[in-house]
Amino acid sequence: MATNILSIGQSALTAAQVGLSTTSHNIANAATPGYSRQIVIQGAAQAQNFGYGFMGQGTEVSTVQRVYNDYLGIQAQSAQASKSGLDSYYTQIQQIDNLLADPSAGLSPALQDFFSGIQDVASNPSNIPSRQSALSSADSLVARFQSLAGRLDEMSQGVNSQIQSSVSVINSYANQIAQLNDAISKAQRATGQPPNDLLDQRDQLVLDLNKEIKATVVKQGDGSYNVFIGNGQPLVVGVTTSKLTNMTSPTDPSKIEVAYQASNGSTVIIGESGLAGGNLGGLIEFRSKTLEPAQNALGRVAIGLASTVNAQHRLGQDLNGNLGGDLFTLASPVVNANSGNTGSATVTASISDVNALTTSDYRLQYDGTNYTLTRLSDNTATTFAPAALPKTVDGVTLNVSTAPAAGDSFLIRPTVNGASGLGVAITDPALLAAAAPIRAAATTGNTGTGTISAGSVNTPPPPNANLQQPVTITFTSPTTFNVTGTGTGNPTGLTYTPGGTISYNGWSTTISGTPAAGDSFTVGPNTSGVGDSRNALLLGALQTTNTLGNGTTSYQGAYSQFVSQIGNKTRELEVTSSAAGKLLTEATQSVQNESGVNLDEEASNLLRYQQAYQAAGKVMQIASQLFDVLLTIGQ
Amino acid sequence: MRISTQTLFDSGAARIGDLQSSLYKTQQQLATGRRVLTPSDDPIAAARALEVTQSQSLNTQYGTNRGYAKDSLAMVDGTLSSVTELLQNVKTTAISAGNGNLGDGERASIATALQSSLDQLVGLANTRDALGNYLFSGFQTTTPAFAQTATGVQYQGDQGQRLIQVDSSRQMAVSSQGQAVFQGGGQDMFKTLSDLITQLNTPGTTGLSAALTTADNNLVLALNNVSSVRASVGSRLQELDALDSAGSDKNLQYSQNLSNLQDIDYTQALTDLSKQQMTLEAAQKSFVQISGLSLFKLL
Repeated sequence: MATNILSIGQSALTAAQVGLSTTSHNIANAATPGYSRQIVIQGAAQAQNFGYGFMGQGTEVSTVQRVYNDYLGIQAQSAQASKSGLDSYYTQIQQIDNLLADPSAGLSPALQDFFSGIQDVASNPSNIPSRQSALSSADSLVARFQSLAGRLDEMSQGVNSQIQSSVSVINSYANQIAQLNDAISKAQRATGQPPNDLLDQRDQLVLDLNKEIKATVVKQGDGSYNVFIGNGQPLVVGVTTSKLTNMTSPTDPSKIEVAYQASNGSTVIIGESGLAGGNLGGLIEFRSKTLEPAQNALGRVAIGLASTVNAQHRLGQDLNGNLGGDLFTLASPVVNANSGNTGSATVTASISDVNALTTSDYRLQYDGTNYTLTRLSDNTATTFAPAALPKTVDGVTLNVSTAPAAGDSFLIRPTVNGASGLGVAITDPALLAAAAPIRAAATTGNTGTGTISAGSVNTPPPPNANLQQPVTITFTSPTTFNVTGTGTGNPTGLTYTPGGTISYNGWSTTISGTPAAGDSFTVGPNTSGVGDSRNALLLGALQTTNTLGNGTTSYQGAYSQFVSQIGNKTRELEVTSSAAGKLLTEATQSVQNESGVNLDEEASNLLRYQQAYQAAGKVMQIASQLFDVLLTIGQ
Repeated sequence: MRISTQTLFDSGAARIGDLQSSLYKTQQQLATGRRVLTPSDDPIAAARALEVTQSQSLNTQYGTNRGYAKDSLAMVDGTLSSVTELLQNVKTTAISAGNGNLGDGERASIATALQSSLDQLVGLANTRDALGNYLFSGFQTTTPAFAQTATGVQYQGDQGQRLIQVDSSRQMAVSSQGQAVFQGGGQDMFKTLSDLITQLNTPGTTGLSAALTTADNNLVLALNNVSSVRASVGSRLQELDALDSAGSDKNLQYSQNLSNLQDIDYTQALTDLSKQQMTLEAAQKSFVQISGLSLFKLL
């Protein structure tokens, strides 16, 4: 009988010991990330029938298990993926937001200084220091464009390197999960008991993986996890893993893409849609939704400014009496053939109308019969036959050298290098074309009251070849006139309308009042017209003219739009990221409420098991004393 | 509800972190005086502020341009005032030349005086501004407006009017073309003077009185012509003054606009600051108290 008591006492002692060490383990891991508290599952041992009844045989510990709810775990993982994605997007876009934060350091002051410089020239056209200062402000404007573009370019390189490190982290997590799958299924097969700490480690790894990319888990019968990413690509299946790799974009050599390497060795680029959530998803989304459009938007302002200023400048006359050239040099659209193209065709793109330019990139695809041009910002497609080439869409004119192979594609980025490729074309201040190349005059001795306006050069450039040919308008009566001069065709007997536009050789002027018969007016070259600033005034007026976005916005307006878009998106991300943070906190708290260690609870458990241990010891002591009684009888 | 010890610490620390970052932001706003620190703080105000800044900078530039315009017009006005004075002197001299008691020699010496007036008049017509530009030669500011030739004084400029952008929609002519000033209004000052000189150098009094009458009539026409040009210059100067005062009004308005868009409301911000400070202190104190509660302390 005493042996029985002794063994009952021993089972109690063992159970109390297990309870004490499990409690200590919980206390020790109270701050371990991903740790789930463990509890001892204890039951009464199988009783023995002694004829007079069943005698209890003490206690036994059936298992030590962790308190973990799969459903809450999955919620936390998914909340983590969206929070990390939004956070990484937000962190990135904040860089642009901060870049544009200081109104005195952005593009606006440089833009205003440039036009102030032009206005100064308009007020003092023959003054070299004014001209020099206008050229210097053009240089600063270009430098400002380039520095902003440079910062955006750095960000794009930063995104590339972060994508690479994120991919290697994902691969490392995948390997660790596969190894844990192996260890867990082995342990479970061997003992039939759950390896609690390994399970915690694996769940924590899945959570960490979700910080990098959204991953879904399917639990298998043997306890291992299959992990899928993107559009269902398997990352871990049992003990085997597939790899993510980095590839240079086939259409843009400066861009790193994420590719999926299946277990059979084939690699496929995962598109943006397949990489939602997590740090990696946030980076990719930032690049395509904000960074690239930002580069394009800035480029569009630069190209718009340069082209429209150039166009007006070429209609003017410089201090040396020559027609104006270009004031700015500007970047051409970037065209990249897909590296997988099989044909040898090359595509050329040029900007034909800055007013129609958008901030989007375009993809040109050939299906063997027709071309399809897709505007990537909204996926608007234009299909046209090869006979329609050269084709102009949104102000960009495309041409193809020879027929490409069916399936070949090209990426066209009209404005991406606009800001970085901007330059000032002239260094000699005398070459600023402030004057108009023609001037009009009423002949001395006219007897009527007719007056002629100063005259202007017709847009667009290039100016008419006969622009500066002397032309005489002679009135044969107060209502009719003849025109003579090279290029005019010398028409006679034209009807005079007071204030009506008279236009020849690429210029326009108006005559008003009542000319008398015999009166004449001349339009001719503006020889030595160094005090004339008509063209500089027109250049200055461009500052407030709506020259971009199909006549809806000025340079400053386009830039303000860009700033407000970045501001709005940053604000939106600030809000959504903070909301996702709240969701994540809630999900984490639910997990913690279920699985986390509460030290007060453990303290009371510690007391409980300590007392149980002491009681079990007492039982054994009594059993030993009973045995002593028997021994005494024998003496 | 069961709460894990970690949650207690995590949420306490997170809340304190949140409060600290809003406190930091308010402090930044107070330190810079700006409510909009980055475009994301108020995207609409940030974009609007850029536009207003451009309008303000343009307004300032128009002010500078008006300064140039005033300089040019004042220069024209000053020159024309000298021309008026000169013409009045010539008129007096011409009248004195009609005195029947004068002999050929005396008339010849009057002619010499008038010759010097003519030279002076050509000089005035070829006045240059501070930058060395001829005032009255139209666009050809490096070409003297008038040159003395064998056939008299000839205009060498053109009919171009130099314009300056003095307001958003106002380009003002700041030059007067010489031909209209000196040879307009039905007379030619230079010819009037040289004809008179020729007559006075001619011995005898044949045709003298008729010539003097013509000269006098022409001088009246010339004076009228100059004063009408001066009136137009004067009215432009007046317009510039009016634009200046409108410009400074606008400038004030733009500054106010900008301030409304991006500057901080100090009362509001200081109230926020003390509110946030109080909340943070409460959060810190309660966190320390709650995290100090542990059963282990009592074991």
